[in-house]
Amino acid sequence: MFARAKCDFLRSHKPIPRDAIPSTIYTAADIKTFGATGAARMDLQHRNNVKVMGDGPSTLIFSHGFGCDQSMWRYLAEGFTDRFTVVLYDLVGAGESDLEAYDREKYNSLAGYARDLNEIIDHYARGPVIVVGHSVSSMIGTLADRQAPGSIAAHIMIGPSPCYIDTDDYVGGFKLEDIHSLLDILDSNYLGWSSTMAPVIMGTPGQPALSEELMNSFCRTEPDIAKQFARVTFMSDNRQDIVGLATPTLILQSTDDLIAPLAVGDYLHAVLPNSTLCLVANVGHCPHMSSPSACSEAMENFLSPWIGEHVN
Amino acid sequence: MSTDQPLLPDNQMLFDEAPCGLVVTKEDGTILRSNQTFSHSIGLDAQALIGRRFQDLLTMGGRIFHQTHWSPLMQMQGSVAEVKLDLVHHDKHIVTMLLNGVRREHASGAFYELALFGTKDRDKYERELLNARKVAEDLLREKTAAESALRQAQAELKSAYEEAQLRASFAEQMVAIVSHDLKNPLTAIKMASGILAREERTTRESKMLGHISQSVNRAERMIADLLDLALARVGQGITLSPSTVDLHAFVGASVDELRMTFPEATLVHQTVGTGNACLDADRVQQIIGNLVANSVAYGDLQQPITITSRVEQDHAVVSVKNQGPVIPDSLMDVLFEPMIRGAKTGTDSRSVGLGLFIVREIVRAHNGVVSVNSTPESGTTFTATFPMV
Repeated sequence: MFARAKCDFLRSHKPIPRDAIPSTIYTAADIKTFGATGAARMDLQHRNNVKVMGDGPSTLIFSHGFGCDQSMWRYLAEGFTDRFTVVLYDLVGAGESDLEAYDREKYNSLAGYARDLNEIIDHYARGPVIVVGHSVSSMIGTLADRQAPGSIAAHIMIGPSPCYIDTDDYVGGFKLEDIHSLLDILDSNYLGWSSTMAPVIMGTPGQPALSEELMNSFCRTEPDIAKQFARVTFMSDNRQDIVGLATPTLILQSTDDLIAPLAVGDYLHAVLPNSTLCLVANVGHCPHMSSPSACSEAMENFLSPWIGEHVN
Repeated sequence: MSTDQPLLPDNQMLFDEAPCGLVVTKEDGTILRSNQTFSHSIGLDAQALIGRRFQDLLTMGGRIFHQTHWSPLMQMQGSVAEVKLDLVHHDKHIVTMLLNGVRREHASGAFYELALFGTKDRDKYERELLNARKVAEDLLREKTAAESALRQAQAELKSAYEEAQLRASFAEQMVAIVSHDLKNPLTAIKMASGILAREERTTRESKMLGHISQSVNRAERMIADLLDLALARVGQGITLSPSTVDLHAFVGASVDELRMTFPEATLVHQTVGTGNACLDADRVQQIIGNLVANSVAYGDLQQPITITSRVEQDHAVVSVKNQGPVIPDSLMDVLFEPMIRGAKTGTDSRSVGLGLFIVREIVRAHNGVVSVNSTPESGTTFTATFPMV
């Protein structure tokens, strides 16, 4: 029976609908061996450097923010692999994604990234999907939800902001010239970009000796791509898309975050009807790195409806 | 015991006066300690800096960059090197600095130790490089766009040219086929009218038969011209059957025939030198016929038309000269192209504009040249020059 099912899947060239995979029969490892939609998954894997961990009945997809890659989830994601299928990926243009796949037209708006996220959901997720998005990826998750309603069961938004620039009575925290100043910084780091990303070449105190190869793999960014992504991110206004989104949403709001100030968290909580606003005592825009335990605690509470029994 | 051993400055002094800014912060950026060099470079007292956050000293763009780029990196890889940052000096001007930073773990947590170097000139140089690069990239883009536009234009031109060739070739083949096929019905008309003319006819009938005969002759000449055009253009070119002839005798005979054809004109034959030439006599007669016909059509019939045959050592020359209006300059360059006609075309135009084209093709087939000279003083002279073989 098992072998037969496997062949059927190989023959069909369409993505397997998630509902068609009874979690009681197949494990995530099985799905991985199937190569469900063989080539399409291979392409996605290559394009977005997709990593799958764990085999829980629900799926957590972690989507990183501007300036980094999936390695920023290292302090947070592993804590969920025992109960969830955990999917990590790099946005195209970031980390170890396929730079050849970077299409300036497609990624000239967040909608292009949202399409990619939906493809990853189609090919890798099992059971209900919870998208954990940091910063701009919260909006990518929102757009993916709008593009394919029902595909996402819940959102966890870490430091989200639907619009960075102040307009009328909306407080985003920035003025247009601030964003231009960022683009200028990105420009002026252009020549030394690779070294910008490198650590100090010396025995890094208090850290295990990392090989140079490993060190340079963090948050690699192509300067031209980083500039476009910065523009797309910080010039975007997704308030139309976020208002009224009924999907259950947890907003993880740092108490002191330059990029996503408290007022923005309040705004989102007000316009998202099924949202929970959780303040995390944290300075900076990356609470999942600087305060991972506070984040995972809040996530555990929120995720309880989707936490399943360990399958094995 | 030596007493001139220089004293090493104490650690505090080494820290404070180090040749780079030194700052120690908490993980959230709160400044715990900074040296004098750093204080000087941003115009703030070291004491006043304590408790402030390092990132708050940056421009807004720098703060975003700090949050999105080097802060996560400091946590993950424990250090960053050569990050260029813009700090805001106390008096509001921007100070560009290079930053190296290390995260140092302690029992109670972690500190960030930062070293900052002024990089004003280097920054300026790098920005110049960057601008130069942008200019080069823009130029490259323009060049690429221009090349692509050029390629497209060339492709369009090529396809238009091919289409035109195809059409021209089709039209010429049509001419060849139609003119060939018209010959037979014309022959039938000519024969039938000839038979009719042999019997007794009223004056009116004879006149009408004369019209038929003239029209058929004219149509035949036109068809002959068209066939020559088709031969020159579509076929292998005009072919010759040359033979050795006495130039003057042969030209004189041709002129006599033309006197019958154009009784309204005065034709004068002049000869220069003596001798034989190797020519296709029928074709050269055609040349003289076409040139004389042109003279009759465009020249002043009150004045004689002069046909000159001249034998020289290396070549034979036949020219036809008439008085009359000068050929306009605009026509000179295209005079020998097919379908070109002079301005004054009577209703009785005998040709379809192929006369001079055929003249040129026949002369070329003889490896000769044809030229024209047209002035108010000396009239218009067409000259065909044939090499002696």
